[in-house]
Amino acid sequence: MVQFLRFAFIRLVLAFITLCLVSFIVFSLMEMVPGDCAERYLAFKNSQGAQISIADIEAERVRLGLDRPFLERWTGWIFNAFQGEFGDSCILRLNINQLLGQKVWLSIGICLGSLLLAYIIAIPVGIIAATSRNPFLNNGLRLVSYLGLALPNFLLALMIMLFSTVMFGDSLTGLFSPQYRDAPWDAAKVRDFLSHVWLPVFILGWSATAFAIQTVRALMSDEISKLYVTAAAARGVSGRRLLLRYPARHALSPIINSLGFDLNRIFNELPIVALILTLTEAGSLLIEALARSNDQQLAGAIIFFLTGSIVAINFITDIVLALVDPRIRRSILG
Amino acid sequence: MKMADTNSYDAAIDQTAKDAYFTASQGQLIWTRFKKQKAAMVAAWVLVVLILSGIFAPFLTPYDPTIAGRDKDYLNGAPTVPHFCDDNGCSFRPFIYALERERSIKTNFRWVTTVNKDKRHYLKFFVEGSEYSLFFMTFNTHLFGVDEGYIHLFGTDSTGKDIFSRTFHAINTSLAVGTIGVLIAFVLALVIGGISGFYGGWADSVIQMATDAVRTIPAIPLFMALAAFIPDTWSAEERFFFISIILGFIGWPTLARRVRTHILTERNQEYVLAARLCGASSGHVIRKHLLPSFTSYIIVDLVISFPYMVLSETALSFIGLGLKDPVNSLGVMLQNVTSADVLLNYQWYFIPVVFFIILVMAFVFVGDGLRDAADPYGDTKK
Repeated sequence: MVQFLRFAFIRLVLAFITLCLVSFIVFSLMEMVPGDCAERYLAFKNSQGAQISIADIEAERVRLGLDRPFLERWTGWIFNAFQGEFGDSCILRLNINQLLGQKVWLSIGICLGSLLLAYIIAIPVGIIAATSRNPFLNNGLRLVSYLGLALPNFLLALMIMLFSTVMFGDSLTGLFSPQYRDAPWDAAKVRDFLSHVWLPVFILGWSATAFAIQTVRALMSDEISKLYVTAAAARGVSGRRLLLRYPARHALSPIINSLGFDLNRIFNELPIVALILTLTEAGSLLIEALARSNDQQLAGAIIFFLTGSIVAINFITDIVLALVDPRIRRSILG
Repeated sequence: MKMADTNSYDAAIDQTAKDAYFTASQGQLIWTRFKKQKAAMVAAWVLVVLILSGIFAPFLTPYDPTIAGRDKDYLNGAPTVPHFCDDNGCSFRPFIYALERERSIKTNFRWVTTVNKDKRHYLKFFVEGSEYSLFFMTFNTHLFGVDEGYIHLFGTDSTGKDIFSRTFHAINTSLAVGTIGVLIAFVLALVIGGISGFYGGWADSVIQMATDAVRTIPAIPLFMALAAFIPDTWSAEERFFFISIILGFIGWPTLARRVRTHILTERNQEYVLAARLCGASSGHVIRKHLLPSFTSYIIVDLVISFPYMVLSETALSFIGLGLKDPVNSLGVMLQNVTSADVLLNYQWYFIPVVFFIILVMAFVFVGDGLRDAADPYGDTKK
């Protein structure tokens, strides 16, 4: 037990270091971008008709603390970030927490939902694909899962949207019906949310499923030809029992291990899908911050949140693996 | 007597086959195994055809894909399909119908294009057309064209540009972006993964930690943030290189990890120890022993990562952060299908999408086939 706690603690420290490293990378990239918050804010004021001088920009820089050295600002930022405080947005002049609010959690929830969907489909299908000797089934599954890669999410989203607009007159976009947008959460709002959220989850899950099927199939066909499976078959275990008790259990741990990176891949696609489906509640703020308004502060905060959730998933999967996989458990305890 | 002859002859063939097998290089072995996979071979042919048609796009397509080659009298025009036969009889030379544009009280004073079925424009081969440069030389011969009017096999877009010409040039651009991206990713991966795998120890730990950290950052949102800062004043070429470089920086961590794993397993092999005991320097060991041992695997990895480069390019261009309209890339072409108008009225805009899907599928199939072929234990399984 003590060893396990020590293992968990080391993992936690490692996750923390990774997060610091990531924040450093993100922060320096945001720094490299030409222009800073002060210029952007005053440029906005200028467009409103105010007269701006170089001195004003300098004063604004001092006010925002942008004149201090890079490392000092980074440590300040990361310190606040771990306390859940990201300062104000450059353009919108609002507190970022207030701006993001539940949007970040909605985005992360949608992505986790698609990840779940992907594996619910991929695990049985991948196992069937690895074990079946039927060439039609095999090639068919391969074709479908390749199509999942070749038909990008954004194209799929677009097709579904256009199709439903033309056929049903409903574009299926957004996350809430207008009347629920600002309403507090209750049963009706949840129902409304669920009736909208299935589409982004399905679309984001589309290529994730294709990837997952490939992984499960490859892992299963690696395991299935190993001697311990033959030995189990020789002892008289057969059929589904054989598959689930032996190769499937072994194939499971690399899958759990890679969950974090699967989530990363889904995050990659979130902003684009969100743009098409106009999910104003979730990903489009990302696009807005990243692509339109050049808001360093907001973009940094969003990327920090996304990466943070990936690091968290990696940490959780490490712990779960140590709990379920006796091999890893032994290597920690032994 | 004769029997014995054939036997020894067979044995000789057998022996040469065995010799060929045991002396074959890694690349030859992979190629032999690859040839056995039908799906991958078909995909490889499709891929070769697509790559060639991308390279020779200016020759294969009748018009300049930019605004210079537009057909200003035929905007959002439907494809003009070549015919061999119609009510007026048949012809060996395929022909298209002439298009007539009219604006009068009959058409409510709007320009309306009608197909005149009685007037034919015959398809000609090797016609002279707009100038283009290929391999640093200037040509003006195009594979096909019509002497009068325009031929638009895939129709035209809203500015009258020929979609057929645009599609082939787009394949060229997307492949070029992907190639540069893959090369950058490859060099980075080779250096970083190579150092990490070869020296091991604390250098390996630190580099692995950094690589993992980079891998946890969702690349597309991050690079969207960077791509947004491309000044509008940049020319198409500058944007093109910037996007390629970005794609290279997205792609390296996965490759670096593979390189590291290859080197880690190889450097503890006996032949490396033998070379070291003979007094070979690190550089010599890397160049003469380690690199040849896994070049073929690295090539396989490159082919596998290629479609993701193309996909990332299309994704970036699609949301308007990558390449922009005067440049023809598949992402730009895909961006053009994003309106209900297209779905309802101008379905031929979707033709480039089909090419895009075929291109990515071909790459994925070839990559998969290569991966199976490069697996030295692939034959012993099943």
